[in-house]
Amino acid sequence: MDIVISTLTSPVILFFILGMLAAFARSDLAIPEAIAKGLSLYLMAAIGLKGGVAVSESGFTPELALAAVAGLALSFLIPYFAYALLTGFGKLDRVNAGAVSAHYGSVSVVTFVTASEIFTGQSMGPAGYMVAVLALMETPAIISGLMLARRGQKRDDNGNGGGLMHEVLLNASVVLLMGSFFIGLIAGPSGFEPIAPLFLVPFTGVLCFFLLDMGLVAARRLVEARAMTVRLTTLGIVFPLINGTIGTVLGTMIGLDVGSAAALGVLAASASYIAVPAAMRMALPEADPGLYLSMSLGVTFPFNIIFGIPLFAALAQAIG
Amino acid sequence: MVETVTRKRIEILVDKPLAGVPIRAAADVGIAGYSLVPVQSGSGRHGNWRNDRISGAENKVLFLTIASEEKADALVDALAPKLDSHSLLLTVSDVQVVRGERF
Repeated sequence: MDIVISTLTSPVILFFILGMLAAFARSDLAIPEAIAKGLSLYLMAAIGLKGGVAVSESGFTPELALAAVAGLALSFLIPYFAYALLTGFGKLDRVNAGAVSAHYGSVSVVTFVTASEIFTGQSMGPAGYMVAVLALMETPAIISGLMLARRGQKRDDNGNGGGLMHEVLLNASVVLLMGSFFIGLIAGPSGFEPIAPLFLVPFTGVLCFFLLDMGLVAARRLVEARAMTVRLTTLGIVFPLINGTIGTVLGTMIGLDVGSAAALGVLAASASYIAVPAAMRMALPEADPGLYLSMSLGVTFPFNIIFGIPLFAALAQAIG
Repeated sequence: MVETVTRKRIEILVDKPLAGVPIRAAADVGIAGYSLVPVQSGSGRHGNWRNDRISGAENKVLFLTIASEEKADALVDALAPKLDSHSLLLTVSDVQVVRGERF
């Protein structure tokens, strides 16, 4: 219970809630686009660097390999489970269900960064290698989602195959996360020390500011959602609950520490709203982007930030 | 008085991730020159839309080109089957151009 209360009263989460309330109240509060973009690049570089430095200290452990395999499996398999519920309970057609399911197999970097910050504040920070697991989990779900959407259909990638692979493998978040991770891995603690004041001290403050913007964006997306139904909104909450529980239990079963198991739960619970939407727009143009962006960004993202993170932390503590 | 000739101006509103579709179709019918013009927001049959700066999946651009009537017809024929599936808004209009041999 303590972690639930401390999460909900942390400045990081409160700034997110402020952004959502401001958007619901139709305030004109806005973060300039270039600043928001810069903040997200800073956060990804910082989290990648910190993860790389941590792995350079701990070395490559069996837990790292197990977490990577678990992350890949979750990313690849979650879309199949999500697809069944989306076509059944959600009443979506094959293409839209495939596109949405890919989002739920992939991950949200901001949710992971926020969870890492909260968990670290609770003395249960996830292992550094979880950053690499995060990057690994971005892509497999896209393949699963496309396979589901195109099942039994003639393949027609609109000549976008090259562009799609480029988007999937070299999108900004994967390049910056993995690039920073390897820089941290090569530089190690001594190399990181001179740049630590830039990447460590302002981190939490920058995250607060960025989450203020994300609260505004998520709430405005929810307000403007046209394609959402009660059933899909329900799934937007059910998916993170089930996927996050599976991820946390799996993380505990393979022997991860409490923070890393909870982080795997958060990754499984999260849905992509950066890399996958662009990839799906290219590969499945007939799918409705308003649908998958409203579900992942408007429903699941706020749910995870406010409720999912403390929930999976409490679960990991209870079973770990 | 400078002499002008009539050519076709083709405008296609397209989601940015799908901008390659009209570009490739134009190249296939022999139209090499084009411009992509960013657009901010608008309203259509599915309601209001605006640039989505988080994912970029819904960002739109205006594909703009000028071509002969023959090439313009070929481009319209090539894109007609994709207008609904790719949410393309295609318009063709007459324009007067100087140096007609370039289009």
